[in-house]
Amino acid sequence: MEEELMSFAPRPAVQPWARVNTGRRIQILLASIVPILLTAAVILVTGLDRNVALMGVFLPLQLIAASAVGFRAFGRRGVGDAALIVFVVFFATFVLVLLASVVFSLVSQGAQAMSWGFFTQNNRYVSNTTSLEYGGVGHAIIGTLLVVGLTTVVTVPLGIAMAIYLTQSQSKTKGIIRTLTQAISGLPSVVAGLFILSIAITLDWQKSGFLGSMALLPLMLPTIARVAEEALRLVPVDLRYAALALGAPNYRAFFQVILPAAKSGLVTAILLGVARIIGETAPLILTVPINNGTSWNLFSGEIMTLPAYVYNYLGSAFVPSQNRAWGGALVLMILVAILFGATRILSRSKSLKSKPTKEKASK
Amino acid sequence: MSESSVTKPAPVRRKLSAGPLSTGDKWFFRTTSIAANFAFVLVAFILIFLFIQALPALTSQGLPFVYGTEWNNQQDPIVMQIGPMIWGSLLIGAIGVVFATPLAVSLAYLIVFMLPSRLAKVATTLVDLLAALPSVIIGLWGLFVFSPVASEWGAILNKYLGWVPIFQVKSADNGFGGSPFIAGWIVAIMIVPIITSITREVFSQLDRDLINGALALGGSRFSTFRRVIFPTSAGAVVGGVLLGLGRALGETVAIFYVLQITFNINWGQILEPNGGAVASMILSKFGEATQEEVSGLIAAGLVLFILTLGINFIASIIVNRAQPWRKN
Repeated sequence: MEEELMSFAPRPAVQPWARVNTGRRIQILLASIVPILLTAAVILVTGLDRNVALMGVFLPLQLIAASAVGFRAFGRRGVGDAALIVFVVFFATFVLVLLASVVFSLVSQGAQAMSWGFFTQNNRYVSNTTSLEYGGVGHAIIGTLLVVGLTTVVTVPLGIAMAIYLTQSQSKTKGIIRTLTQAISGLPSVVAGLFILSIAITLDWQKSGFLGSMALLPLMLPTIARVAEEALRLVPVDLRYAALALGAPNYRAFFQVILPAAKSGLVTAILLGVARIIGETAPLILTVPINNGTSWNLFSGEIMTLPAYVYNYLGSAFVPSQNRAWGGALVLMILVAILFGATRILSRSKSLKSKPTKEKASK
Repeated sequence: MSESSVTKPAPVRRKLSAGPLSTGDKWFFRTTSIAANFAFVLVAFILIFLFIQALPALTSQGLPFVYGTEWNNQQDPIVMQIGPMIWGSLLIGAIGVVFATPLAVSLAYLIVFMLPSRLAKVATTLVDLLAALPSVIIGLWGLFVFSPVASEWGAILNKYLGWVPIFQVKSADNGFGGSPFIAGWIVAIMIVPIITSITREVFSQLDRDLINGALALGGSRFSTFRRVIFPTSAGAVVGGVLLGLGRALGETVAIFYVLQITFNINWGQILEPNGGAVASMILSKFGEATQEEVSGLIAAGLVLFILTLGINFIASIIVNRAQPWRKN
């Protein structure tokens, strides 16, 4: 998909009319620097609030400057273009700043808690004011791996079977199932928790890690089904037809031809599914009792998970506890980043492999 | 009529689609179709079990459950009404969508039409990273980092635009924290990625010839956007915005930390530290809930589920219709 990205940005070699001469370059440079300098000057001189200055001084100035350059270059048409570019860049930068702020505060605050012990110890004998040298998220990491692992083991076959149905069968209900799966993907996480909770109340089950796993299932399933479907769809249909024409039954065509071809895509689906649920908090709070000691038992008793750990310490009024929350959140973020990085590496290696085959096909 | 009696009747058209022949295939398709129909089972189970457990609360509270404005567990017939929460969820969702849509459309435009392909890939990865942030992390950041900044924004809006009804507050001494304005921003940050990804896909699948044609006719970037890109992709963007709205209504933990939840309806004074959200209310009441209250909370969950399922279903249909290349 990324290969098909197109751009207005004219290629200089092919489109000589799009060449920007030095005079215009200087104008553009001035238009991008002067508003910032003027705004900084206004803030320094008048002591205006920075937020007010950003919206009330910088943005209008930038618009005027860009419009002026646009007007000199293209006349009245240039003004609209300039405004469009200014707003697009401003909004995109805004989102980037928000994201950077999240990551920066997570790393800078969470780093205080980081130590080897923080990863390996549990929080038994830790009070609200215990210093960060004692206690850690070891028990929560174990709990998260167990709970999420169980969900993954149950959901992956289900989700991939769904994807197979959506790509391989001739059934007429495919459209409605696809739409329904998409609709489930918007299921509020708290409702998933309440759903399992009401099953537990109806059947008189005790709360446990197992219930938490089940509460995560409806959240993971749509992600896996959708990504796996796209992965299976990327396999050229000719491969399947060739296998079928050679007399292979559908299931052998799938397991011996399509599955190996779509392997990396399916692994990506699993990783994205895990990344989707690993930070889910509300369902676990509703269904899993928490503790401060290490527990390996998913089916009875208390078990701590990372999101619940963060949630638990976040509301505290004590600074060491808040730092524990930041530390737990950083560990959670590191796990998400590892999963995320793995999907990127997988998709990159896939695109490297697929390039030569495309060339072959075009010959 | 007379002709058909003379000529032979046309042979019945044979069905050409072959069913599975071998037993292995039969089991293969049977298993996968069971798995696929699990989607129906799941939705049905969610509805049934939530309904069973919500029934006590629904029967004792009656219809005022969805529009009344009181939650009192001290009274003897316990009163549980979630009107302000439903309204608050919709209000926060609306604020979130209003903030997120321009941000997301700008990002998509930047990625597809302005950045060189390498930078576009980086930007796409960053947006995906934003989508991958767990809501508890956004909540943590929202509570300690974003809320103070956003309450400053609220104070500024109130100071300079206080004559607009929605920016009025009863008293500026309450501070500007805990308002639907802040919760709306938090929600906006969480739904920007989904709107961006749908808009980006639609933009990148637009007919290249249409755009080149508009440019060749002397169109500028702006007129091409207004006359060509916007009309052809508006449908899908609306679908994406609806999907985002569905997410916004279901957002739980992040809002829980930044919103002052009260059972007074806030009709639209978005800077007032007074708001509601069904999902966050469920979380906040759950810890100390009695058995009766749990039933009420499950009923609130049922209402939320029906609301979001409806919105998501409509959104999915719109998005699918606007993306014909997705169909096989």
